[in-house]
Amino acid sequence: EYFLLSSGVLSHLSLLEVQARSRKSRLQQPSRVKELKAKVEALRVQRDQLTAEIDTHKMFLLIPSLNITAVCPNPVPPLSLTLSYLSLGGYNVIKTSQGKGLCASLTTAYEGVYLETYNVEIDLKPRLRISRHNVPPFIPLSSLAEQSNMQTDIRSFLDTLSKHLNAFAGRKQQLKLVKELHKSVEVLESNVLCSVLVMLLTLPGEKSTVLCTLNYTDHTRLLPSGVHFEYKALPDAPEWKKNCSLLMETPVHKALMTMKKNETIL
Amino acid sequence: MGESVKTLLQRLVRRIPSEVLKTTLDKWGRLTAQQQRALDLTQPKWTLMENLWAICEENEWTLKRITELEMIYVIENPDQGMWYAYQLLDPEDDAHCVELIQFKELFRYHLRELVRHVSVKVKKHTDEAVWIRIAWGDSFSRPNHLKPTYVVHYLQTPYVFVTSLTSKHRPLLSQALVLSTRYQTLKDANLSGRKLTAIRDLLMRQYQQVFPTKCPSPLAEKNHPALKKEQDGNAANRRRMATEAFGDGTLPQLQTAVYKLETKFKDPTNRTMSDREEPFRCVVKFSSTNLLESLRDCASSGFASTPVTPLLSSISLKGKNYFVVTDNDPGALSQTRRPQN
Repeated sequence: EYFLLSSGVLSHLSLLEVQARSRKSRLQQPSRVKELKAKVEALRVQRDQLTAEIDTHKMFLLIPSLNITAVCPNPVPPLSLTLSYLSLGGYNVIKTSQGKGLCASLTTAYEGVYLETYNVEIDLKPRLRISRHNVPPFIPLSSLAEQSNMQTDIRSFLDTLSKHLNAFAGRKQQLKLVKELHKSVEVLESNVLCSVLVMLLTLPGEKSTVLCTLNYTDHTRLLPSGVHFEYKALPDAPEWKKNCSLLMETPVHKALMTMKKNETIL
Repeated sequence: MGESVKTLLQRLVRRIPSEVLKTTLDKWGRLTAQQQRALDLTQPKWTLMENLWAICEENEWTLKRITELEMIYVIENPDQGMWYAYQLLDPEDDAHCVELIQFKELFRYHLRELVRHVSVKVKKHTDEAVWIRIAWGDSFSRPNHLKPTYVVHYLQTPYVFVTSLTSKHRPLLSQALVLSTRYQTLKDANLSGRKLTAIRDLLMRQYQQVFPTKCPSPLAEKNHPALKKEQDGNAANRRRMATEAFGDGTLPQLQTAVYKLETKFKDPTNRTMSDREEPFRCVVKFSSTNLLESLRDCASSGFASTPVTPLLSSISLKGKNYFVVTDNDPGALSQTRRPQN
């Protein structure tokens, strides 16, 4: 479903973009015809995106049969379409070495911001094997390939890998935002995988502190699986129970914003 | 005790260049403002040492304090000495959730179980690297602080980087690391260099790798194979293949690549040599101030043939610079333990 979710969101974004453009022109020249033209354009974009998606699906269907000359995907789609298809953390696959290999480009994104792109080159013959990649070593690439049966289902492997990479990129971005937006919060511990975060939060008033540990044990998720507080004395226990839920359910940089607004932390 | 503190301090002052000494002392933060002002770093080293020793006695600095200073210097200037990469293998189920405090405690505990007298210092750096300084002793002698081993590890990665480790201590370090990271074995990764940052960047893939991004038109390939072959000689293609093999932009600075050949001698004009049964053993060593960039230039200028031979591209691909080449599989490379001093 991850795949479908990205296409739903990206087509929505394109529609919004088109609407904004048409709204602009509407202010100058209110016209029903212009509105309809904009709608047509948006639908064309959506149609082309779906066509590009189908092409990639076709490519995956080719692999078991290794019948490369039989069905050829369309020539490279126009640049704008490729870009829109790549948006919002999806992935793109192209053939390499005269059909003997594949190169998957996995883009990551968080909150509408493009982050890193990772690449995995896979040899198709004699059997499926990852030949080259720039995935960092704390993402367990080979065990993911094994677990998701890469040999028989490349699509499932790439979906899983994309999930891990997007979640990692998202957590890393959240950490970056915490450091940028919340100078009053001291980050005491983090790691390269961004699977643990220990922060020192300052309480208003007596200026005492709370040590807050977030554990992201599920590496495919952007939210922690555990929140732990260490403190000498919490002034308002029910409020902090709420903070606990907040940190479990909202990205950390946003949760901290809310906690500041509620004046439970500085 | 006083003597060894002075010796260590002397060694440090001699080792650290004057320009770097100021920043190191500032980072250390153990001098009072007055002492900092009084210290004239333009003086010759022996005068500096006299002054620092006086401050040391005034502040009652222990060996522990001086080793702190040394550690700061090494962490900030890691590209010296000879670094060797090791790889952790066969993780246990909980290896991926080992966190810092757990690792520190387990490592200290296990090392102390193995070596009666050992001094261990663990420090987390801002780039998530865990630095460990080990001064080794044994059942009869105190830790030797003049020959410490430094270890660098990033949690949740399988790599460990080590400098100044003797073969005597290697199995002890290995055991302590394996137990504290929840893996089963530690093996030589066959990658070494003078710059920690270079071997780290190579293994962590923190350099600009180049991947194929355009879909080559299958029709053109099918109809004009000759054309494609001719274009392979083209400079743009050579450059592309060179960057795909080694990377783009600034590359991790390796100094050497060593190939230990255990292949049969092959030369039809020299029957004496080629008739021999045993492999012709020799070692081929490439040296450069920046080996990967040199190899990339060789490939893109046509000096080395393209596509780049796997023997050379394996350096970047596998993150190794020591290879044993045997006849069994001429394209692939096998590795055995590389001799270390």
